[in-house]
Amino acid sequence: MLLLAQSAAESAGTSATAETVLFWIFAVVAVGAGIAVVTMRNIVHAAMMLVVNLLSIAGLYLGLQSGFLSIVQVIVYAGAIMVLFLFVIMLLGVDRDDLLTETSVLRTSGAVLLGAVLAAGLLFVLGTSSLTTASACGDAATANDGTQLTCVGLDGALADEPQGSVGFLADSLFRDYGFPFEASALLLVVATLGALVLGRRKDPALDEQGTPSAPVPSDDDLDALVASQVELAQQRGLQPEGTVPVTRLPEDAADEPPPGIITGDATHVLDDAEGREVGDPAPPRAGKDPAAAGRTLADEADEAPLADGTSDGTVNGPENGPDDASGQDEEDR
Amino acid sequence: MPIGYYFAISAIMFCTGLVGVLVRRNVLVLFMCVELMLNAVNLTLAAAARMWGGADGQVFVFFVIVVAAAEVVVGLALIVNVFFRRGTLDLDAPQLLKW
Repeated sequence: MLLLAQSAAESAGTSATAETVLFWIFAVVAVGAGIAVVTMRNIVHAAMMLVVNLLSIAGLYLGLQSGFLSIVQVIVYAGAIMVLFLFVIMLLGVDRDDLLTETSVLRTSGAVLLGAVLAAGLLFVLGTSSLTTASACGDAATANDGTQLTCVGLDGALADEPQGSVGFLADSLFRDYGFPFEASALLLVVATLGALVLGRRKDPALDEQGTPSAPVPSDDDLDALVASQVELAQQRGLQPEGTVPVTRLPEDAADEPPPGIITGDATHVLDDAEGREVGDPAPPRAGKDPAAAGRTLADEADEAPLADGTSDGTVNGPENGPDDASGQDEEDR
Repeated sequence: MPIGYYFAISAIMFCTGLVGVLVRRNVLVLFMCVELMLNAVNLTLAAAARMWGGADGQVFVFFVIVVAAAEVVVGLALIVNVFFRRGTLDLDAPQLLKW
């Protein structure tokens, strides 16, 4: 679609009808997608509509003889920024309750009324000015008699530039706006550092009462989880190879963890549940693992890398951390 | 194409984004509506640049895109942090200062 717009925009400098067609297509799509962003109930759909809106604006830039801005719009907005948006949406969960339905009618109608009044005022001012009548660019309307606004257009300016709109923009950007350009570079560095500082967390998340939102599971919880998993597996007739039946061994038998296995404590398990040490291949609770003591070291070495994330729906013993186990539990139910 | 039509489209889009900011309670949707408003202003600037035959408006669009990118990076990091602390994306949920 943008390629078609590109070819249409190349002739837009000379042909007014090409620009008109280009404008109406992209204007209708842009406004419709903009309204859809506000009214869509699914947040992912709203993000997709915003992508459509941004691409339409890129098409409008082409009609405005600003080819470089159009490319930047596609790359930066529709590419980078929307990917970031979608990443955060997926990270925080898309199946959250829709907050639009809970909005009060009074608030919604008041906001819509305010927006409509503002839009009507803006459009009224535009309609009464000469911008919509006598300001068509390229229609030999450059004779400015001082009484009405006329559109100069970029044809003359772009004709002097061998690089087109890129050189046109770069001339002004690096000559007249050099200091703001450097300042924007500094701004980007500061924003990157700010995102880094905001993105790192040392301690588990706290809820409103100031307690960890993911409580540290006790040994009884873990044992119950393990038992439920094994029971489910036995009900389904699943008995994967390499898994020994779980028997509760005496505590002294599990005192010495096998070498090469990181003995984790409960905090370690919580970190794993938070997803920060996903790359840690060791089963975190080797010391309390009842099955670990009943197996040979070779079994441990074989199965240890499988313990994180790669375990599928089958139950492979109590190797999994509490996060994995609870996830499987939810899947099974 | 009269340049005022671009201004009209831009005005409609800006008001749409404004209504979205006022109506929606999901902070991510609110952020997207802010982007909508920024883009409406960008379109105005580009149209004005063509109208006056200068590059200043396009340079402004360039800077607005840069600032919007920085804003999105920091804003989304803040949203993620707030979500992990509060557990909600509802803008009306934080009421610590409400009397």
